Amino acid sequence: MSSVTLKNLSKSFGTVKVLHDLNLDIEEGEFVALVGPSGCGKSTLLRIIAGLDNATSGDIWMNDKWVNDFSPRERNIAMVFQSYALYPHMTVEENIGFNLRISGLSKADIKSRVSEATDILDLGQLLDRKPSQLSGGQRQRVAMGRALVRNPDAFLFDEPLSNLDAKLRVQMREEIKRLHQKVRTTSIYVTHDQIEAMTLADRIIIMHAGRIQQMGTPTELYKNPANVFVAGFIGSPSMNFLHGQIQTNQGKAQVLLPSGATIDFIDRGNLPADGRVVVGIRPEHLEFATAENRDNVFEGKVDLIEPTGAQNHLKISVNDQTLTLVDTSLRELNIDDTIRIHIPVEKVHVFPHSE
Amino acid sequence: MQTSSEEKLPRKLEKPGRASRIRALRKSLVPWFFISPFLILFLVFNAFPLGFSIFLSFQEWNPVAGLNSMKFVGFKNYLSAVDDPWLWKSIYNTVWLAFAANIPQHLIAIPIAYLLVASLKGTVRHLYTATMFVPFITSTVAVSLIFFTIYSANTGILNQWLLALSTMPFIGGLFSWVPDVMPIRWLGKSDLLKPAIAFVVVWKYTGFNIVIYSAGFLTISKDLYDAAKVDGCNAWQQFWYVALPMIRPFIFFAVTLSIIGSLQLFEEPYVLTSGNSGGVGQAGLTASYYLYLVGWEWLEMGQAAAISWILFLFIAVVTSVHFYFNGRKGLEGNQ
Repeated sequence: MSSVTLKNLSKSFGTVKVLHDLNLDIEEGEFVALVGPSGCGKSTLLRIIAGLDNATSGDIWMNDKWVNDFSPRERNIAMVFQSYALYPHMTVEENIGFNLRISGLSKADIKSRVSEATDILDLGQLLDRKPSQLSGGQRQRVAMGRALVRNPDAFLFDEPLSNLDAKLRVQMREEIKRLHQKVRTTSIYVTHDQIEAMTLADRIIIMHAGRIQQMGTPTELYKNPANVFVAGFIGSPSMNFLHGQIQTNQGKAQVLLPSGATIDFIDRGNLPADGRVVVGIRPEHLEFATAENRDNVFEGKVDLIEPTGAQNHLKISVNDQTLTLVDTSLRELNIDDTIRIHIPVEKVHVFPHSE
Repeated sequence: MQTSSEEKLPRKLEKPGRASRIRALRKSLVPWFFISPFLILFLVFNAFPLGFSIFLSFQEWNPVAGLNSMKFVGFKNYLSAVDDPWLWKSIYNTVWLAFAANIPQHLIAIPIAYLLVASLKGTVRHLYTATMFVPFITSTVAVSLIFFTIYSANTGILNQWLLALSTMPFIGGLFSWVPDVMPIRWLGKSDLLKPAIAFVVVWKYTGFNIVIYSAGFLTISKDLYDAAKVDGCNAWQQFWYVALPMIRPFIFFAVTLSIIGSLQLFEEPYVLTSGNSGGVGQAGLTASYYLYLVGWEWLEMGQAAAISWILFLFIAVVTSVHFYFNGRKGLEGNQ
């Protein structure tokens, strides 16, 4: 197992800079998810860590060894690709044992290591099959087996579940988590699916436009997003955003919205000097107002109801703004009903507008 | 909710009338109309000659003497073909040339195609590939005529080069034998004629195979090479364990074309031997060449038809053997 450290890592393709001075420390045995929208540079970063691409500048350290010039083999990493990248002309057994064969291990050693890996992944019945004869989930498992068999210092996953259907994805997600708990090998997992990242990772790194936006545990990112991008990226449905101006009214910090309405919030500092801010409220934190609620209560009209079974997503129009509310009480409502909603003051996030 | 499908069904089912029968007939004829240009051409230029050549193989016929000179001779044409030593010699030459010309073509084309795909991008690669493809689209007769002059014993550039090499400072020793054997008559000695023909064929068709193999290597996903790198493969191992097995269907296709092409080899040996009965000791007489001699030089059409059917049988057997041993694996390569 190995720790991974990146120092001032940058990557450019021609004149286009895709990674900007990244600094990152991944502890030994840690499961880290790199999350971000398409084109944010997360796969490029993974390929650089793997040794498949070179960084334009900066250093990569693995286990305190400078590995910039090392081949993937010398870095002793294993990678699971989005397309699985199984060799179509080889059987499952040959696919899994291929890197051992290249390393010059004896046939008996290869066989025993392959059978160890296939036992863990429950692939014993499929050893003689070609990849074309396997289902998506089975191929995924073979790809995992190929990574597992060599006892690598680090596992790199490049969106390994994105080609699976929703049900299988959840199942494989669990398997990957179990596997990591068992082998505790340092893992770096690239995905654009925040749920996948939240459920799997010890720590999440959110990237946008080649820059790291925030690092932290899933709960930290959810509770204390560093900026509007992170706030909007983490959580489903995404956070409601409203633009406004901060003011103080009878000692209370407030945001004045263009409509004239105000939202109280708790001043945690870091507010911009010009007072222009973006207010963020998670849909699951909006609630139906009760008689006891005095502040942060608004009247709105139901625009749309999206039932998802366990909860309804309501689009509510408040003063020409549309807010999403997650209703777990499944209240019987109709379009155009007028309702009163309440925003708990401690759940209001405020970000500088410049972002 | 209740369905009312029963109510919606027509109360009375009527049999189709005359108009609808005509419509159905027209509908079934339209596809035939659209494929008729091909069908007519195929029947006139393929199916009829095919049938006619079977008929002809049982006749004795000099085409110059007209259709009335045709005479049924039963299996005589086949029997005399089997007894004909020139036929067997021509088949031997054909097989010899097939091996000598095909194996180098593919052994050269595969690595070149791999290097082109692996190391060059876009326009530069296309430029190289196109350059190597040029011999294939050049007229075979023109190519053969140029090689005829290159091979010329006294004035040909090949012999001049060999002489020049023998006087070179460092490598001259390797060619010290050249002045003693000059002039080398490449096309005038039976043991040199076949290799000389084979070289022209290799030169002409390697570019075509490079194009096929380049297409093959381009179909391989970049992920597979990445996976191989992560698995610890060096450049050679990536080629040997990943790229080569992946282009198996392309190898199968290119080899099949080569086999069929070389069993029909005609223009190169014909021009290089000046159409003179297959050259010295018939060393350049291929099966198609012999067929041409029998039919159009000696005007024995019946005999030529019988030989062409024997040749067809021979090609069918060779291709079947190739399909049997390589076909399944070849076609499965990408699965």
